[in-house]
This record gives sequence, C-alpha cells and structure tokens, in this order.
Amino acid sequence: MSIATQQAASPPATGTVQKRSGFLSRIVAHRTDYLYVLPALIVMLVVIAYPIYYTIELSFFRTPPNLQMRDKVWTGIDNYVRVLSSPVFHEVTIQTIIWTLASTVISFLLGLGAALSLHREFVGRGLMRALLLIPYVISAVAASYVWKWLYHSDFGVIGAISVQLGITAEPINFLDNRQTVLASLIVVNIWKEFSFAMVMLMAGLQTVPDQLLRAAQVDGANTWNRFWHVTFPHLKGVSMVTVLLLMVANFNSFIIPFVMTGGGPADASHIWITHIYQLAFGRQQWGVASAYAVILFIVMMFLGYFYVKALTRGDEARA
Amino acid sequence: MAAIETAQRPVVRKPIDWWRWAGRVFLTFLMLFTVLPMAWMILTSVKSQFAAMQYPPQWWPSEPTLNNYFKLLDPTNRIGREFLRYFWNSFYVSLLTTILGVVVAVPAAYAFSRFRFPGRTFLFFSVLVRNMFPAVVFLMPLFLLMRWMGLVNTHGSLILTYLTFGLPLSIWLLKGFYDNIPIQLEQAARIDGATRFQAFILIVMPLSSPGIIATSIFSFIGAWNEYVYAYTFLSRDDQMTLPVGIQRFFTEFATDWPGLMSATFLMSVPVVVLFLVLQKYFVRALTEGAVKH
Repeated sequence: MSIATQQAASPPATGTVQKRSGFLSRIVAHRTDYLYVLPALIVMLVVIAYPIYYTIELSFFRTPPNLQMRDKVWTGIDNYVRVLSSPVFHEVTIQTIIWTLASTVISFLLGLGAALSLHREFVGRGLMRALLLIPYVISAVAASYVWKWLYHSDFGVIGAISVQLGITAEPINFLDNRQTVLASLIVVNIWKEFSFAMVMLMAGLQTVPDQLLRAAQVDGANTWNRFWHVTFPHLKGVSMVTVLLLMVANFNSFIIPFVMTGGGPADASHIWITHIYQLAFGRQQWGVASAYAVILFIVMMFLGYFYVKALTRGDEARA
Repeated sequence: MAAIETAQRPVVRKPIDWWRWAGRVFLTFLMLFTVLPMAWMILTSVKSQFAAMQYPPQWWPSEPTLNNYFKLLDPTNRIGREFLRYFWNSFYVSLLTTILGVVVAVPAAYAFSRFRFPGRTFLFFSVLVRNMFPAVVFLMPLFLLMRWMGLVNTHGSLILTYLTFGLPLSIWLLKGFYDNIPIQLEQAARIDGATRFQAFILIVMPLSSPGIIATSIFSFIGAWNEYVYAYTFLSRDDQMTLPVGIQRFFTEFATDWPGLMSATFLMSVPVVVLFLVLQKYFVRALTEGAVKH
C-alpha cells in the first residue's frame, strides 16, 4: 500500500498526467489503460451490475410462482411493506444481530488470544498455527456435517460426554430446541473462523517495533501495560479491518444454518440470508425476497463504507 | 511472511511468568476445541455403521475398518461411481474458475496498481465492495440470466457465477502484490527501450508469481468449497460438485454417518493439502492489504 501512495505523490512513470485538461480528454489520454481492466469490467457488468439492477427492479413487482417474469405485476412499495411489517422479519433480524455480533466478538477475542500466545517462538508453533487454520480452510459444508454428527441427539458425542460427566441426565437435543439452536450454530461458526482473526492479528503483531517493547520494559512496564500501551495501539488498524471482515462474513453466512438446521426449528435459527433464500427458492416469492435483498444491500453499503474507510485510513494520513 | 518466523527476543525473565502460563493454558484449550471435532470425524469414518450408532459411544473404534473409504473410491459400485464423479466435477470447475479468474484479474490488478486513469478509485472500490455482498442476493437474477443463456444444469453456469466472488478477490489480492513490486524496475526497462506492455510481461509478471500462486490457491479453495450456486443451479445428478453431491446421496435413506464422515474427510483432503504445502502464500494472501508492509 505504501508504494502506491508514494507513486501518487510523485509523477507516475507510466502514462502522462495532463493537469489542465478536462475529464474527457484525460480519459482519452489514458485510453490504453482501460484495455487492461476491460475484460474484468465486462465480466463484472454481466454478473454483478446487472443482477443488482434487476434485484432492485424485481423488488417493486409481484412475481408469478412459475417465474415467468413477463407476467410480473407492478405493486410499488408493497413488497417492502410486507417485509418490514412481518413478525418473522423482526424475529429473524434479532437472530441475525445476535448471530453476527456474538460470532464476531468471540472469534476476534479467541483470535487475539491465539495470536498473542503464538507470537513467541517455540517448538511446534508452526504446526499449531497450521492445525488451527484447518477449520478455516475446509468447506463450511464439511464443518456443518461434522458438527451435526457431534450434536446428534441420540449418538452425538457432546451429549454423551455431558452425561458421562454428570452435567446433564440425558443427551441434550442441541439442534431441535429453540433455546439452544442458535448458540449451537454460533459455536460451529466460531470454530470455523476464529483462526482468520488469529492470522490477521499475527501479521499485525509483526508491525509492533521490538525496540518500543524493550524500552517499555526498561521503564518498568509490566506485561499488561506493555500490551495495552504499546502492542494494542499498533494493532488498532488491523483489528478494525479484521472485525469488519468478520462482521461482513458472519452477516453473509449461509451454509452453516442452511445445512445444519435449514433455519428451524420454527425459524429459530434463520438469519437474513437463509430467510431470503427460503422466500425465493422455497416459496417462490421473488418480489418479496428481492425487496428483502435490497434492504440488505443498504445495510451492507453502510458496512462497506466503514470497511473502505478502515482500509484507506493509513493512506490518507500519509498523503 | 518470512518476518513471522523471526524470533521475538524473550523480554521477560522472572521466576514465574503468569501471562505466559495463561497463554499456554489458553492455547491448549483452543487446540482441543479445534482438533477434537476433526479427530472425531476421522474416528467415526473408520467405524462400521453399527459401531457408530451406539450409546454410550465407542470412544476408540474396537474394530477399525477402511471399508467406508474403499466403498467411496471404488468405481464399480454406485456410491463410488457417483462420489468419484462429484470429485472430478469439483476439481474441473475449480480449476477452470481459477485459470479464467487469474487471466482476467492480472491485467486489471496491474492497471489498478500502476496507472492513474480517471475513475480508477471508484472502479477499484466498487470491485472491493462487491466482496461484501452475499451470493444469495445475486442468485435470483443470475438464475434468470442462466436460464436465458441456457446454462442451467451446466458447469458453465458455475464457472461464470464463481467469477462474481473470485474475480474481485483476485484483483484485490493481486493489486496488493503489484504495489509491493518496485516501480523502478519497470522504469529501468522502459529506459532500455521496452514498451509498457513488454515491461509488464517481461519484468513484472515473473516477479509477481508468488502473488499469482497465492491468488490461485485462494480462488481454487473458494470454488472448491462453494455451495449456494451449485445447490441452486444444478439438479442433474451427474453434474453435482462435492459439497452438494455428498448431501444428496447420504440423505436419501437413513443417514450413514460413518460414510458421510469419510466422504467429508475425502472432500477436505485436497484443500488441506494445498493449504499445508503452500501455507506461506495462503497466509500472505489472507493478510494482504490489511497489514501495511
């Protein structure tokens, strides 16, 4: 990133900048530059810009269940009203917030602890990091099946252990119970993603200058003070990006709830994404699902704004 | 990433360092949390169905068997034939997605890193922000688009839609790598008479091969693990990729948990091996951009 910033400050080596000319002539002057991005732009237009446009359009129509879009009927903001006033929407929204926040905060804290513990060199450190990362690498479908088996109501190993240790009298039915299902899924999600936070923060720890830590120690700062006053301020930028990326990923998760419970029992483990999917492909209500998706777009734009800000923060400070 | 390997000088020399012990205890707990579910998956996969369905469970398989694996890898029975077919479909779709994505992303990322054309910032951040939208909200229009193009139930629909997440990610990762290649090298080549394109192909491309490897791994793993599009666009049995495929043939009848666990294990092997062999690149790709070097 820093190199790009320096280039921006000094005259670029390739292409010429004509400061006095207008926007159009600058486009003409840089016309060959666009050849490099053209293939990417075409693909993005077809698979990204067009779907966004079409989703917004559909959100104002009632769509026929057979998905012949010629027969769709203009209904104005009717779909939005239906989404926002539905009680299920409110329930699912609360679950989405719990799911996103709990997964993000706990994953981040576990990742931070792991990064700090793994920062020091010791035998087997590389192996440990690799092992901790495996859940992040494997498919969420695989993770879902493995945990579904661990949670199994009759033969699940977690239920059996809790009975053996005398915690509960009978195996717990984790996934068919409205009270436990969301928390059980959050555990799986944390298992899958905390090592992402760990890797990000381990890379962040490399940027903490050793001299500062030693200077603080010479000055008599204890371990906690060294962490809080030296290490942590250096991790702020990475932490912000990590938390945002975790939030986006959690908000967008689909596979774990969909494969493990399908949103059930009685919608207790639905989050926005799985609910949209159910409306669109379970009940064929594409108009309503599209309105839902547009609301989600708007929320994501807010998160996206903070994400871009977090990423460009360093550049602006230096430029 | 070589920096990660450098030792932190031991800063504390006290009789007992409680923080250090807390760290060890914490790491032990995390290791158990991470490894035990995977260990149970492997232990279950070497049990017979009868042994797996016992209460209390057999903590250690009394008669370990590899039958579940033989069944999955044997092309002469139905389950083995389908599993190998799904495996091949996954491999082929992931490989094509990766190649196509990288070929399109390399020039774009290079342009975003080096050139200052009008609209560059806007375009780049719209690429970036795309990463934040979930697949599900693109599903409906893309489904209609695929139907219109006649691509439903083909691997073409998967490869094209996988680019929706693969391409922005690849551009973002590669740009980070290009930013770290000194521009002076190209300037020297230009002075020696190379055109801008020649400088790109002859100087920058070879230097960016670690970046291209990292991006390819990332993109391959992403495509290999993808579920939503494959689940929605494919309904023909012989077209399925692994994540969708294993779901289909284990829930038709009573679930065969040991079989499912061995299929899950085999499905994870390629990505885990790829990750372990190229771990350095993978970690670099993951942290690229967020950490200023």
